[in-house]
Amino acid sequence: MSAVAIVGVGQTPYRRSHKDLSSRELIWSAAKEALDDAGMGIDEIDLVVAGVAPDALAGEASVERSGMMGKGKPFVRVNTGGVTGSSTVFAGASYIKAGRAKAVLVFALERMGQATTSQQVFNTIFDPVYEKDFPLTTITMAALRASMLMRLYGYTDRHWAEIASRNYRNALRNPLAHLHLDVTPEDVLESPLLAWPIHRYEACPMSEGACAMVLVSKDRVRTRTPVWIQGYASTSDSYAMGDRIHRPGATLVDLLSLRLSAERAYKEAAVTDPRSEIRVVELYSAFSSAEAMAYPALGFCNAADGPRFVESQLTDPSLPVFNPSGGPQGANPVSATAMVRIAECALQVRGTAGDRQVDGVERAVATGQGGATQFSTVCVLGKDLVH
Amino acid sequence: MNAPHSKPTVFIEAAVVEISWRDETRNLSELIFDSVRRAIDESGRGMMGITSVVLAAHDLVDGRSLSSMVTAPAAGAYLRDEIRYGDDGAAAFAAAVVRIEAGEADRSIVAAWGRASEHDVDGVSRALFDPFFGAPLGLEELHVSGLRAQSWIQAGGRCDARAHAVSRRRDAARNNPRALRDGGRSSRPSYPLSPDDLPVWADVVAAAIITSQPARVKVSGMGQSSEPFAIGDRQLAAMPGLVRAGELALREANIAAGDLDVVEVDGLSLFDEALALEALGIARKGDGLTAFASDRRINCSGGSAAGYCAPAMGLARIVEATLQLQGRAGAIQLPSARRALATGSSIVAAQTHTAVVLEGV
Repeated sequence: MSAVAIVGVGQTPYRRSHKDLSSRELIWSAAKEALDDAGMGIDEIDLVVAGVAPDALAGEASVERSGMMGKGKPFVRVNTGGVTGSSTVFAGASYIKAGRAKAVLVFALERMGQATTSQQVFNTIFDPVYEKDFPLTTITMAALRASMLMRLYGYTDRHWAEIASRNYRNALRNPLAHLHLDVTPEDVLESPLLAWPIHRYEACPMSEGACAMVLVSKDRVRTRTPVWIQGYASTSDSYAMGDRIHRPGATLVDLLSLRLSAERAYKEAAVTDPRSEIRVVELYSAFSSAEAMAYPALGFCNAADGPRFVESQLTDPSLPVFNPSGGPQGANPVSATAMVRIAECALQVRGTAGDRQVDGVERAVATGQGGATQFSTVCVLGKDLVH
Repeated sequence: MNAPHSKPTVFIEAAVVEISWRDETRNLSELIFDSVRRAIDESGRGMMGITSVVLAAHDLVDGRSLSSMVTAPAAGAYLRDEIRYGDDGAAAFAAAVVRIEAGEADRSIVAAWGRASEHDVDGVSRALFDPFFGAPLGLEELHVSGLRAQSWIQAGGRCDARAHAVSRRRDAARNNPRALRDGGRSSRPSYPLSPDDLPVWADVVAAAIITSQPARVKVSGMGQSSEPFAIGDRQLAAMPGLVRAGELALREANIAAGDLDVVEVDGLSLFDEALALEALGIARKGDGLTAFASDRRINCSGGSAAGYCAPAMGLARIVEATLQLQGRAGAIQLPSARRALATGSSIVAAQTHTAVVLEGV
């Protein structure tokens, strides 16, 4: 079984809309940058894996087909909602681990700037009989979880605001981010309510853009600087939110799917104490309150200590750095967001993250989150080859 | 695609396909659950050791913006490692095999589905083409099938056995106990296709259980390839992507096309199915229809005439091939079936291809 390394990263800037670029141009731009970064040409690629989530957001069906490249090469599309980007990486990594490919190009594209209203589209992800007519959306879905966290563990509006403000301010150092806003916690609290307790500045923006990476087997690393994929895992939970509210051992806000993914990925990566062994965490949390659900699932704190963990991030420099890129509050190209998290971790481990670089990153963790918080992925990246 | 150096052999424990039409007693999740449940039951090992679930489904077909959100649990994904391909079922099958070869799983569910009775098949097809250069023409995938057939005829493809091929395909579907019995519908044919050449739109769910533990059918070769995005850039009649996928699969299995006892090819129309035989080296160039009319190894399930809905069909072909090798194909069982080739192609109009060689153990 071959180890898998990331040797090339390419990203377009993330913007509300790329009106001057076709889907193909966005894909090819990110792909070329990744290939150039790897010092490779498309002919050296054995497989292309595309990640695009809801077609409805783009208004173009199977938009990934327009970006097909590498004549005759195997080409497949992954669509797992919010975790599409990370699932795409994992699918490519599987082919390398199996020995069926030596080099894989993965890309993910989001064109949601074409959608007149994303929440109307997101309403149609829910059960057409029992939930669609509420009308449930990703915002109201997140609000239900935020209020449950407040009731169970004592989180307040202030915690959500502190998390959001930190993410926005981190995004100021990321030229690729969609939003560059110096937002204070007070600004967050004063922004309009979308659905209580979520304010506008706690929510992610609608962003377009593409991300691509080149994955290779150990023998193809050669003189390149590898970022090793030390461990990865994906878990699906029940769709039904009602079934998870009182589930023994793991309620709706315990993110069981993320916890199980973390346990498997950490085991593969030989991570035993995530709080001390992981320096950077790039979280797919489309709302700042969703970050709070991830902390205990990833082993950084107990659920009940969550509010204190948020507060201690402001004062304790030994804690992992969360979302130095700005995370999804800085840019949320849905299909690509989970891949962007992995790409940003790869840049951090490689030490090429520019102004957003965190010192001393030996190991980083990227997460993906999708569906009705039912699809979760965890990817551990590091400088060292673990196996 | 490289053949793996050292890998666990992957076996198929159980394979199920259900083809129905507008079953008002079951919703989509229930259709999926029933087929996956049957596959699990037929495996005789329950859910033991199943950690991976690989799906093929398409949002546009399912009429939902994130199809697998509601349907994945019905396919056994609860607290398992699940991934959904917006691609053909054979590509999902290949990905599931790869997961086992990679050591990521020992046992996996693969499922693919499409419910033609609940969506506008032609409308979805039109939406697949480039919004500037394809869609305004009103192009549908079946139109591309017509263009492919026309291109082949102009290049000298022999049509003298067409009537025999049509009747053989119809009879095969009639004899297949898993083919659609009632309902279904067809699209309007475009030249040179006739109504007899078309697929029968149906509701299709295919499911398989694969494992690293020995079972009666093993996967002995796989190949994948693709063709350019723009229709004008493609060699429609030659299907170079399928040529490549077939070559890779046969090479990995270390057999020639002539060694095959069963051939299940995926194609929208009779012409697509017949031309695939030429691409796979089973028929000589120009003789695809002739081979289809006379070669009993080929699509004895009836292929697209037995019921069709993307993206389930590549996996449905794998299921039919597996049943042949297991000796469980019923009235269409071929004698002494040991080696089979099954293919699957995806949107847009067979743009990507997967070929799988299976062997009875």
